[in-house]
Amino acid sequence: MSAPQSVTARKSFFESRRFGELAPLSKVVVYGLLLVWTVVVLFPLYWVLITSFKLPIDVAYPPKYLPFIDYQPSLHAWRYIFVDLGNDTFRPYSNSLIVASISTLLALTVGSMAAYALSRIQYRPRLGSVVVFILILAAVVLAVAAGGVDWRLAVAVGLAIFLLALRTLGRRFKRHLGNGDILFWIISQRILPPVVAAIPIYVMFQKLGLLDTHVALIATYTTVNLPIVVWLMYDFFVAVPKDLEESAQLDGASRFRIFIGIVLPLAKPGLIATGLLVLILAWNEYLLALFLSTVRAQTIPLLVAAQNATRGPQWWYMSVLIIIMIAPVVALTIALQKYIAKGLLLGAVKG
Amino acid sequence: MTVELDHISKSFGPLTVVHELSLTVEPGEFMVLLGPSGCGKTTALRMVAGLESVTSGNIRIDGRDVTDVAPKNRNIAMVFQSYALYPHMSVAENIAYPLKIRRLPQAEIDRQVLEVAAQVQLETLLKRFPRQLSGGQRQRVALARAIVRRPAVFLMDEPLSNLDAKLRGHMRAELKHMQHELGITTIYVTHDQIEAMTLAHRVAVLNHGRLQQIDTPHRIYDDPANIFVAGFVGSPPMNFVAGALQNGRFEGPSVSLPTALRLTKPGVQLGFRPEDCRIVGGGAADCLSGTIYSSELIGDHVLVTCRVDGQPIVVKAEKSFDQAMGAEIGIQIPASRTNLFDLESGARLRSGSP
Repeated sequence: MSAPQSVTARKSFFESRRFGELAPLSKVVVYGLLLVWTVVVLFPLYWVLITSFKLPIDVAYPPKYLPFIDYQPSLHAWRYIFVDLGNDTFRPYSNSLIVASISTLLALTVGSMAAYALSRIQYRPRLGSVVVFILILAAVVLAVAAGGVDWRLAVAVGLAIFLLALRTLGRRFKRHLGNGDILFWIISQRILPPVVAAIPIYVMFQKLGLLDTHVALIATYTTVNLPIVVWLMYDFFVAVPKDLEESAQLDGASRFRIFIGIVLPLAKPGLIATGLLVLILAWNEYLLALFLSTVRAQTIPLLVAAQNATRGPQWWYMSVLIIIMIAPVVALTIALQKYIAKGLLLGAVKG
Repeated sequence: MTVELDHISKSFGPLTVVHELSLTVEPGEFMVLLGPSGCGKTTALRMVAGLESVTSGNIRIDGRDVTDVAPKNRNIAMVFQSYALYPHMSVAENIAYPLKIRRLPQAEIDRQVLEVAAQVQLETLLKRFPRQLSGGQRQRVALARAIVRRPAVFLMDEPLSNLDAKLRGHMRAELKHMQHELGITTIYVTHDQIEAMTLAHRVAVLNHGRLQQIDTPHRIYDDPANIFVAGFVGSPPMNFVAGALQNGRFEGPSVSLPTALRLTKPGVQLGFRPEDCRIVGGGAADCLSGTIYSSELIGDHVLVTCRVDGQPIVVKAEKSFDQAMGAEIGIQIPASRTNLFDLESGARLRSGSP
């Protein structure tokens, strides 16, 4: 009697009782790993938090782990950031808010419209036309830069030649590109790290007199993030059944109205997830901001980095800045989490 | 409103799915496009809706050429096979959507939504979302959304095919009643010949993108234009035996019987419906001879499958039919109930034809 019992006991240790439930042993392993990972993720945050309350002396070796026990917390760093620095903290902070939110909104608006068009309309640009366009563009740039031709003249002549070539040369090459090629071309913009283009971008804004302005940062971030939005939103739009749009079409809705009233609400989880991702990318961006802004348009990541300047790393100030920098992103993510829930499309067709 | 299809064709590259389809749907008529999957019936319907472009030919609604008119300007409502309900809108919002786009005053929208909801028994479900409804209820919402704006033409693309058998029968009756009540010209696409026979004023049978026959359900059943229509309509389908006509007598390997035609012609198919023939004892004159392969009691009748020259022939027999499997029998067909088709073209042979 006891032998079979011990067998079932051992068995139940390795096997789950019900389908859809982990076996006891797997449970221990899985939750154990998750706990370890949680500590790995949360400990730095904890460390930043307590460091922000430390005096410079408490940061020194050996490490002090527990406030009130290992050391007496102090508000000196917080006072320095909010009172002594004052506007020098708030200006970068509001710069970051403005630049990140506006560039995200722009990228989402333009990007989702592009993604929708790519998911619904078949584009078939002729390969010949594309090649001709690139060649003529190169010729125009060369003529203006090296030949000293007036740019207005060069553009007008280039355009004329291109239109002529479209009707003659372009027709000779029968090969077409498709939506897949366009989509790949768009995402390939992101394969190249934006840093590669940093210097041309810097020179461009310098010529335009827009260095150290919100406009420069917003334009750059929007451009850099657009491919990500198009790429991600494309998948969400493809998942919206065509029947719904055809039905709306017969109900009398225009294409734009269908996009706003039917497609966008159904792609809302994707829109919010993409928006959050892009917002975080823009919010944390450091390198391009370093090139494009100095004082007036400086963003918060630059201010954080600036704490590691002449006097050596000021860990306590940095910690305060990091906390106020991640706070809005965390709050926003928690607030929007419920919208990222799945199952919105349920009940659209069949089910 | 009249809907006229005037020689419309549709090609996808080298593939032509609808060939020169011409038909006229009279005002208030319930027209069913019937055919096997891939016969082009749905494409034809989508061309009427404007969701598919027309390769050649014209479509006229109420005399107006709408061939190149955008779907939203055709005054058409469509019920999709998938229902295509907007999942983020409640039942009321779904039904109100076409009215909202037409910018009707809110009070008027509410009034019409309530009226239509009552018509399809949805009054109590107006606040629900599509995902909270059963298949039959979703079907009703789709119907309500289609009828709420009183379209000139109703298009339905296999609207009942996602329902279970019992509900399908019920919704079929409801649909027929509602169409009769509203009197709106309707084009309905299905592959289910029972749906076609029960719902339609007239049925248009399509195969390989070509119109085979267009007629009332009675005549489609009793007087098929060709062997495809004869074989597609009817359950169980018509039986066929190959042979030759000899001065009005049909002669096959184990058949010799009189027909309604006075013709002599080689290469002929004899067709007859299971309910038109009778099983008699073996060795009788003027009949097909074979053996019983199986017999199934359906309820009010028995379906007897016989073997004639190795081919199955189905006969509908009396409930009391009782003969052992393997028994030698003869199958008698009244001459007036025989249909003859050309073996090659499949066309029906009639008394005037050569």
